[in-house]
Amino acid sequence: MNTYNPLIALLIFLGLSLLGYLFFRPNRGWYWFIKNSSRATDKVIAEDILKRLYHNENASNFLNINDVVRTLKQDEQMVVESINKMTTLGLVKMEGDIVRLTKSGSDYALRIIRAHRLWERYLAEKTGFNKSEWHQRAERKEHELTMDDTNLLANTLGNPQFDPHGDPIPTISGKMAKLKGVPVSDLKVNTIGRIIHIKDKPDIIYKQILAENIHIGSIIRIVEKSSERIVFHSEGEAFKLAPIMAGNITVSVLEKDVAFEEDVLRLNILKENEMAKIIGISKELRGESRRRLLDLGFVKGAEVSIDLLNPLGEPKAYLIKGTSIALRNNQASKILIKK
Amino acid sequence: MKQKNIDNIIALSNDLRWQIGDEFHDNLAEGIYADAAEIVKGAVHKENGNKRLRLDAKIDKIVTSKVWGFPLMFLILAFVLWLTIIGANYPSAMLAELLLNTVHPALKSFASSVGMPWWLDGFLIDGVYLAVAWVIAVMLPPMAIFFPLFTLLEDFGYLPRIAFNLDHLFKLSGAHGKQALTMSMGFGCNAAGVVATRIIDSPRERLIAIITNNFSLCNGRWPTQILIATIFIGAVVPSSMSGIASLGAVIGVAVLGICFMFLTSWALSKTVLKGEVSTFNLELPPYRPPRFWKTIYTSIIDRTLIVLWRAIVFAAPAGAVIWLISNIHIGDLSIAAWMIDSFDGFAFLFGLNGVILVAYIVAIPANEIVIPTILMLTVLVTGISGGEGAGVMFELESASATGDILRAGGWTLLTAVNLMLFSLLHNPCSTTIYTIYKETKSTKWTVIASILPVIMGFVVTFLVAQIWRLFL
Repeated sequence: MNTYNPLIALLIFLGLSLLGYLFFRPNRGWYWFIKNSSRATDKVIAEDILKRLYHNENASNFLNINDVVRTLKQDEQMVVESINKMTTLGLVKMEGDIVRLTKSGSDYALRIIRAHRLWERYLAEKTGFNKSEWHQRAERKEHELTMDDTNLLANTLGNPQFDPHGDPIPTISGKMAKLKGVPVSDLKVNTIGRIIHIKDKPDIIYKQILAENIHIGSIIRIVEKSSERIVFHSEGEAFKLAPIMAGNITVSVLEKDVAFEEDVLRLNILKENEMAKIIGISKELRGESRRRLLDLGFVKGAEVSIDLLNPLGEPKAYLIKGTSIALRNNQASKILIKK
Repeated sequence: MKQKNIDNIIALSNDLRWQIGDEFHDNLAEGIYADAAEIVKGAVHKENGNKRLRLDAKIDKIVTSKVWGFPLMFLILAFVLWLTIIGANYPSAMLAELLLNTVHPALKSFASSVGMPWWLDGFLIDGVYLAVAWVIAVMLPPMAIFFPLFTLLEDFGYLPRIAFNLDHLFKLSGAHGKQALTMSMGFGCNAAGVVATRIIDSPRERLIAIITNNFSLCNGRWPTQILIATIFIGAVVPSSMSGIASLGAVIGVAVLGICFMFLTSWALSKTVLKGEVSTFNLELPPYRPPRFWKTIYTSIIDRTLIVLWRAIVFAAPAGAVIWLISNIHIGDLSIAAWMIDSFDGFAFLFGLNGVILVAYIVAIPANEIVIPTILMLTVLVTGISGGEGAGVMFELESASATGDILRAGGWTLLTAVNLMLFSLLHNPCSTTIYTIYKETKSTKWTVIASILPVIMGFVVTFLVAQIWRLFL
């Protein structure tokens, strides 16, 4: 047993670790690749086609078979087979070379959309996944949820109306709330509005918007508008966006008498020996984190000051309602104050 | 009521739900809080406004200052650990004298006087009794010192300040500042550390704290580390330096454990735990004089005795197993010898030996009995003189005599280093595993918490062994 070569043992170990890494590395590992590709079953393809048709027909866009194949990025053979099968099942019908949804097909599509949006809502409220992952996860989960699962999910979430991107969630009977909004790019200077929807497609623009820290529910005021950029103020910050990004953000315009808090600040910039009044908690903070802060007394009108600075800079302790509560900067930046 | 009316009402309620919108609950809660605040403002008068007590503020300024915050913290922790390890020696020695050197022989002679068959007396007295006695003697005194001290600091209000000071470091690895406390508690006992994670109210961070608690070197492992470091590490430097070298080695292992804790926390929060809900808040309660006697009483009852009881429950069968595998023979060898033989080649890859692996398997219930088991098994398979007989665990008074037995068992400096590493990085004891299950109520997390450190232990000892053999 003493005759082995440690160098070879080390090399074997390194080889195995490399293999393990290639298989299981996050997102691009072979294991995930295999797992996801085996998921593209008939059911998934059929449901994806129905969903695609529904969204396009809603925008009065009618697709032929070639369009469907192109937008789905799936094997052509399988897509065509799937459409044929759905025609015999009465989910879609052919009008010339245009593929159209039947009534039962559009009901089916709505069920999938309901599952998708409810699951996004669930991920936002009840889990810790990053918001850039919500859509992809829901894309997979929507095919796994049965109708009963979906209804149970809706019940536990309190039958929500909108998903975290602001899209309406269809009810069991297929009803959907109407979005009465205007894209930010169409607003006039000085308009005040509340962000009600951020498109999660295309992915690149959506991630850019997320990186800017813009979120649903916040009230904005347009400050400047030109063909190159649009500037608006929200929650104490100025945002500069290219029109293509602004076009993906929808706001509902508010009446003029709504008081827009212009000199709003964020709690993390409060300095020692300063007093401030809380205006509210940013809508970005949801679920458990939001409730916890409310419970601790970070509510509208409460006075807050710094109690203790931290030797490492973070977290700082804030004095609120006579109690000293330490918050990290990423939380404090979501509490809006006025000095 | 007519069905039509009911339908109408349901339809109306659905309509209203749509009109009120999603943010209704949120706004209602905020409105109630805001109203309550307004009412309080009008009705309650405060004497000195929002100013906190001046003494409190002064203490806070010192314990969280850039200059004094960290030195003070390390001093206090070092003092608590020192008092625990050194202070526990005396009661431990007394308990060992009583339970192992007095009661054990007395029981043996009683057994022989009533004519008990050798197997029954071996199984019960050398197996079960000895393991239980060992665990009590080694475990009880440090816990009875450590937990009350820790609870006193907690009661005084100092511990939340430690969490406050260190939170940023823990945030970088995706954990909660309060993990500093559960980790320190783990230096006393991992099972107690796991229970202590209840103070972390965010699900993701709590799981991280539970799974990584095992990287804190616990009371059952400190003596192993100190003994092996004294025998082997102390021997490679000039004798004037040996004390410092072995102390340094032990502290090095403990610090390595902290590094592994941060690393694992980071990896967990980025992979398997990223879907768990994560929130943060830390309340800094006002200081108050600790309720001394009440604290001592509750910490001994709540923490020490419960943990001790669980340890005894697990140690008793372990003692029985240790005695049985050393005394049941298959062919001309005992089960233990067979196991050691078959593990030897595998263990060699990791710079360990079969005896160590067998000892770690049968001593899963308590780290305290690892060294006695290793000594007994070494004597058993090498056939050198010494020891108390097959299946009877023992320890020697002098470190050098222990070293002689181990060297006779084929131990080298590499074996010692890797044993110290493996003692840090192996599965939690069964008491801790059981506690993890009780706290998480999840088989999945219990399995991960148990398997992960063993895998890391094998990887680390393997790498050390190969590199050692290549270059030394």
